[in-house]
Amino acid sequence: MPEMKLEMQVNGRKVMRLADPGQRLLDFLRDELNLTGTKEGCGAGECGTCSVFVDGKLVKSCLMPVAKAQGAEIQTVEGLAKPGELEAIQKAFHKTGASQCGYCIPGMVMAATSVLREAPEASLDEIKERMGGNICRCTGYSKIIEAVALARDVVTGRASPAVLEPETVGESYIGHNVRRLDAPSKVTGRLKYAGDMVMPDMAHMAVLRSPHAHAEIVSIDTSEAEAMAGVACVITAADVPGTDGFGVFVHDQPVMARGKVRHVGEAVAAVAAEDAATARRALTKIKVEYRDLPGLFDPEDALKPGAPVIHDYAPDNMVKHIPIRKGDIEAGFAAADLILEEAFSTQQVEHAYLEPEAGIAYVDHDDVVTVISPSQNITHHRHMLAGILALPINKVRFIMSPVGGGFGGKEDMIYQGMLALAAMKTHRPVRLVFTREESIAASAKRHPSRVTYRMGLTRDGRITAIRFEMLSDGGAYGMSSEGVMRKAAILSCGPYEIENLWIDTRAVYTNNTPSGAFRTFGGMQAQFATESMMDIAAERLGLDPFEIRRRNMMRAGSLTHTQQRLTSASIDRVLEAAEQASRWEPGAPTMRGPMRGDLGGPGTRAPCTLGARFETPKDSKERVA
Amino acid sequence: MLTFERYEMPATLPEALALWAEAPAGARLVAGATDILPWAREGRAGDVDLPLGIDLSRVAELRGYERHGARVRLGANTVWQDFLDDPRLARWLPVMPYCSVWFADDQIRQQATLAGNLVNASPAADGTPPVLALNGELELCRWAGDHIMCRTMRVEDFVTGPGATRLAPGEIVNSVTLDIAEGYGASFQKAGLRRSLVISVACVAALVKLDETGTRFADVRLALGGVGPVPERLRDIEDRLRGAAVDARLIAEVAEATASRVASRSRVDYRRRVVPGFVRAALEEAADRARVAPSAAERKEAENA
Ligand code: FES
Ligand code: FES
Repeated sequence: MPEMKLEMQVNGRKVMRLADPGQRLLDFLRDELNLTGTKEGCGAGECGTCSVFVDGKLVKSCLMPVAKAQGAEIQTVEGLAKPGELEAIQKAFHKTGASQCGYCIPGMVMAATSVLREAPEASLDEIKERMGGNICRCTGYSKIIEAVALARDVVTGRASPAVLEPETVGESYIGHNVRRLDAPSKVTGRLKYAGDMVMPDMAHMAVLRSPHAHAEIVSIDTSEAEAMAGVACVITAADVPGTDGFGVFVHDQPVMARGKVRHVGEAVAAVAAEDAATARRALTKIKVEYRDLPGLFDPEDALKPGAPVIHDYAPDNMVKHIPIRKGDIEAGFAAADLILEEAFSTQQVEHAYLEPEAGIAYVDHDDVVTVISPSQNITHHRHMLAGILALPINKVRFIMSPVGGGFGGKEDMIYQGMLALAAMKTHRPVRLVFTREESIAASAKRHPSRVTYRMGLTRDGRITAIRFEMLSDGGAYGMSSEGVMRKAAILSCGPYEIENLWIDTRAVYTNNTPSGAFRTFGGMQAQFATESMMDIAAERLGLDPFEIRRRNMMRAGSLTHTQQRLTSASIDRVLEAAEQASRWEPGAPTMRGPMRGDLGGPGTRAPCTLGARFETPKDSKERVA
Repeated sequence: MLTFERYEMPATLPEALALWAEAPAGARLVAGATDILPWAREGRAGDVDLPLGIDLSRVAELRGYERHGARVRLGANTVWQDFLDDPRLARWLPVMPYCSVWFADDQIRQQATLAGNLVNASPAADGTPPVLALNGELELCRWAGDHIMCRTMRVEDFVTGPGATRLAPGEIVNSVTLDIAEGYGASFQKAGLRRSLVISVACVAALVKLDETGTRFADVRLALGGVGPVPERLRDIEDRLRGAAVDARLIAEVAEATASRVASRSRVDYRRRVVPGFVRAALEEAADRARVAPSAAERKEAENA
């Protein structure tokens, strides 16, 4: 690796290092200077978490070889305010509740700082436009934009600095803007996520992943990788001492592929080495011989007789089937004036939390195997790992690091086992940080689902019967599929009281990326179908869409799909609030033409365009164009 | 992950050209670096170890710009943000700020260079259509043993296909020269998957100059990107409009015919529907802006007042 004497001014201090000039400024700041407030959400210029000022200009440090910053003045999030203090913009983020998981927040604070420096009079549209290079997956942006506008008003003297102070809370917190306790650590970049943590003598892990969807592993030869200078260890399924297998419901997933791979991106082997680059190079030296097996890529195919079997324990490829029956659907359909039949499908979705998976494991002086990671389910992980490592539970410890966004995607123990094995094999702390691409390839997704729907209604819009069949692609491993199918079944027919229903939800194994937990846990796929059916029914029967929902909604005393008696229900109030908020004009969908007055008004989103900065009135800076 | 066995930061053009002339196979020039770093990742080139990177950002000759009569010569290190931040460039090249605001995002524009965007020669590059509309010309230089040899080439001839150009071995883009279009109204229309950080599914750059009555097209420049292997100038439409009265019906008519220009291999139906609408919107918007754009003479007067 080449070396160059790099000198720059970082957060007001002179810094000199002999370092690789071709490395990214991001790595230089994080690894050489330990300024971990600057995050790597993507490494490809897409997310903005790595934003820093270089000679006063905001850039993405993942796109800048450090040599370009030679002699420059660098400002990172750590350099915005003095220790113990907060800048107006940071206080504003704190005040409006603009930080959730916090992983995007240092980058957002930097982008907001740039807005206030470059365009202190920016309109809301211009603020949004200027922050277009930054992604947040938690907040929905509105709190962030609110914070920038608040800080703008304070900085330009339009509002008193007092607006940044906490609201006084009287007798009760309810109804007050209560600030988040953890926000200061996030807006200053001080909060350490797992990928920010370092330990003395720490080794870095990289993972070899399967290029095949379904293949037998004939052999793995790790000898060349193991012999490489700088490599601490190589691990494969053969290193697992206990009962290999984890999963939220069924323990069908090995720590690393055992005997065969079941999806592209599945872990096959892992290397721990002095640095991540060495570990990645060592991966190329591992020889794996595969024998291709016929694959399953469509859930319908998985159910066909003679279909390839993905897990021996499930010869029918069924992960879970949840049936619900209530009433008599034959009688219900017979009583209907109108029968609607439709099919709906929804796609696979990636969580895309801004923090890619990361973790660090070590074996302490009492031989306790400790794993620090943003796991959304540490107690369960601890129990599973004890079995995998054949250790008593008191010799396994899980520490939950701040979760930089999970949304269900960090419930699966897809890498903690590898870290534990490597730490045990080397007796060194071992850290693994997924790349964004790796996170997308290896982590669970929202289930792609197909729903076949049959709904019977009377002329006045009462539902007489529903037959609801969902087939979901569970992918290669069970993960949370069982729970997702349960929830999808329970919520299937929506908040409506249906006397006669027949529900089947099924998740099947395929060789696609595994599906797992994802916000709404199956509810979204089901509601998309049910609410679409309600709209179609309203159109066919000439009823107002709110009205048809009111005629069917659950009330106190209703019997749910799973036959619980409700003692209260709030759907009436929800409908009322939605009707008011949308300034709804009553009437059947077919009766109202393009002149509807409830479209395009306040609260509806204007078309997405750019150029707000050309419209801002002149300020101290000359405007162009 | 991108690693370099050697990373050089030449300070002058002769130094850079000499390094490039001697460079081992696989060496790369690094301008803004905003494309090469994402390129060396999984799904694209994967982990890449390059024998040599020649970083052009400190080469003095590539900096700045100067006016030569009715043209402006931009050093190859001109970055996209310059068209938004430098009022003079924005006035001379009125289509560039509108394109720039759609280009990547505020951070990337601070690094990404105009020349780099042209050399990458993506069929969907945002930057090429406005440069075509401004009769862009490149100066390509190489080291000839003891002196620098340069040739010029129209950008229209330079880009030959997706990712392919006429850049010869040993050559570096030294400058980009564009027409000064002060007093023209301009527009840039783009459809992408989202606002920021995406290349164009289709884009249109338009420049319109009106006659002194403000009712006729004195000059029209129109270029299309994202809809074929190379961006193209729509000269037939320009010729048809030049001298004609500005008329919504005429604009709609010429715009309608552009659907047939779509020669992409994917999303053809979508692009065929989008392009005529964009061409119409771009011409109308550019004409509207031309009505309010002060001419150079008026601006001088105002400045003197
Ligand atoms: S933009 Fe740099 S890490 Fe995402
Ligand atoms: S708070 Fe923005 S990504 Fe979590």
